[in-house]
Amino acid sequence: MTLAQIAPLLHATIMNGPVDFESTVVSHVVASDLMSDVLVAHTENFILITSLASDQMIRTADLVGASGVILVNGKQPPASLTKLAKELEMPLLGTALPKFEACLAAGQALLQETTA
Amino acid sequence: MNRLPDLSLETSPLTLVEVIYSTAIRDVMSADPIVVTRDTPMSTVQQRMRDHGVSGLPVAEEGRLFGIISVHDLIEILQQGKLHMPVSDCMTERVVTLEEEMPLSMAISTFSKYPYGRFPVLNAAQRLTGIITVRDINVSLVNRLLQQVSKFESMLDSEVTPGLALNRVFQTRKHDFENGGKASTTIKKHLVEHHVDRSLVKRVAIASYELEMNQVVHSIGGTISYRITPEAVEILVQDRGPGIANVDNALTEGFTTADDWIKSLGFGAGLGLPNAKRVSDIFFIHSEPGVGTTVKAVIHLQKQTKEQEA
Repeated sequence: MTLAQIAPLLHATIMNGPVDFESTVVSHVVASDLMSDVLVAHTENFILITSLASDQMIRTADLVGASGVILVNGKQPPASLTKLAKELEMPLLGTALPKFEACLAAGQALLQETTA
Repeated sequence: MNRLPDLSLETSPLTLVEVIYSTAIRDVMSADPIVVTRDTPMSTVQQRMRDHGVSGLPVAEEGRLFGIISVHDLIEILQQGKLHMPVSDCMTERVVTLEEEMPLSMAISTFSKYPYGRFPVLNAAQRLTGIITVRDINVSLVNRLLQQVSKFESMLDSEVTPGLALNRVFQTRKHDFENGGKASTTIKKHLVEHHVDRSLVKRVAIASYELEMNQVVHSIGGTISYRITPEAVEILVQDRGPGIANVDNALTEGFTTADDWIKSLGFGAGLGLPNAKRVSDIFFIHSEPGVGTTVKAVIHLQKQTKEQEA
């Protein structure tokens, strides 16, 4: 599944998308507001679903090689966050969905893909 | 008299800092020192000092230290013509001691602080096991630095991937979350640009970021230094305090001293040090409350021993 396929399922708006969404592969979801937990996640090709709108969240996503970040609960990122996302070329999406709903939508899509 | 150079973490070359922090006093001291007992007459002390060419002797019985007798004490007794007196009447009883497990840096700072020429060394059970002099330190430092110099010289001969090798030092400041993480981001970008294997980059990034954010969250500030060669990435982080009271606790997953504000920023879960250690091939930590913490983490770029864990 690609980021371009997941985005509409989450009714997500693109806050930063310098990377080709069509070619960004997503096969896992990591959902956390605790950066320490993200840093011990063992997965590759994952999107980070979070409600933590801080610069460190983008840095963490970049350092662990996340495919993109989805900010939930309709949170508006501070300007510094979007600037850093651009600088690090980290795809950043925003959705009004709560975290659980966002995880559910992304999870169902990924599950359908693996069982299809 | 020549003074010892200022060996502070801030200003010293990394190689020297590494040597003095990773060498234990046990490996530098003269073990099983010649001792005298409390009832030894001063005439015997004179003889022992002459025979063994030493200018000070610990006073100990069955490993328990009672004091120290120096050549200065002996001269005084000689002037008074009282060589028959027992050591117990002439010795210094309040002795500054060092412990085997302490790093060499501790011995150097103790020599800078006191005018004495030697310090008795005790083990964990407070028994006398050695004595350390400035000469011991000199010999050990010269030997260890020679080893390092040889290592560097052999590195000069090795084939270096153009551009990958890098030495860089970054500063961190207390609670500076705006800039915290920049060092790790910069290093990660450098490794990616030089086509280092993705799983290795991730391990370096995690170790580096955990250690960097630890400094931002917990310390009053410090430095994070990188030495990148085609063989390995070495990360050396050094802060100026406050130091970790119990390093074993800090290395236990879930142990944290962070407050709610830090936690609201997504940090302080007590996973930082254990996670940095997990992804490193070599991990060394030394901390002294009131002085600071030094951590060295090495990730080999060629032997991919821990690849599966990243």
